Amino acid sequence: MQGFPDELVAVDLGSAAISMRVDATLYPLDALYGAAYVFLDRCYVLLDRPTPTETRVTLSWKKGEPPEGALRALAGEFANELLSCAWRSKINEENRAMIEAATAQALGGAMGPPSLDDLEKFDFTDEAFEDPLGIAMSWEEKYGKKADGTSATRRGPHKEPK
Amino acid sequence: MTEVRFHREIYRGTAVDEAVKALAAYATFDLAEEKDHWVVRVSAKDARRERRVAGELGNYALGLTVKARGAR
Repeated sequence: MQGFPDELVAVDLGSAAISMRVDATLYPLDALYGAAYVFLDRCYVLLDRPTPTETRVTLSWKKGEPPEGALRALAGEFANELLSCAWRSKINEENRAMIEAATAQALGGAMGPPSLDDLEKFDFTDEAFEDPLGIAMSWEEKYGKKADGTSATRRGPHKEPK
Repeated sequence: MTEVRFHREIYRGTAVDEAVKALAAYATFDLAEEKDHWVVRVSAKDARRERRVAGELGNYALGLTVKARGAR
């Protein structure tokens, strides 16, 4: 078939099928599954392992005779999809530890607020943090009326009523 | 008669069994086991139907195998 190495791709026009030999050491089984799954609605897919280092993929046209060039296009698209799946599989494998750590942290955060037992064990002996801007002060403490009836000092611009 | 060979390292035996059951109404199936393969012989009323059922059987078994692998 034009554009493909003869030792890798074989066409069987009689049964409207194309066979590809794939190096199993380059393309893991997960990648083959992923690529094959995408083509299930378009053709009949059969995988086989003639030797331990080789996987054979057979794609058969579903209905009638395939149009001119259809089998070649099918083989090309499958090869591209297989490469894409193999690459995704490799990325997934390399990032597995990071994904697991992030998932564990997310699940830990979703466990909810601490229980009374957890709070009982918590160490509150640390000194209070400094708050020079009064951010931790409540609204009543900051702007509320004082005991003598005057309001507390407001910060920022203040306009007298007309 | 059409013979479909499913390699044991690629296809799950349970997936092949389930696929055969799902398509039992469309053809006659004869199952056998070999060292490396599950072998299914498909017989239907004509060659065209046989080819179609054999193809659908392969797709069904592959789909179930992929699904089961993803659910691990």
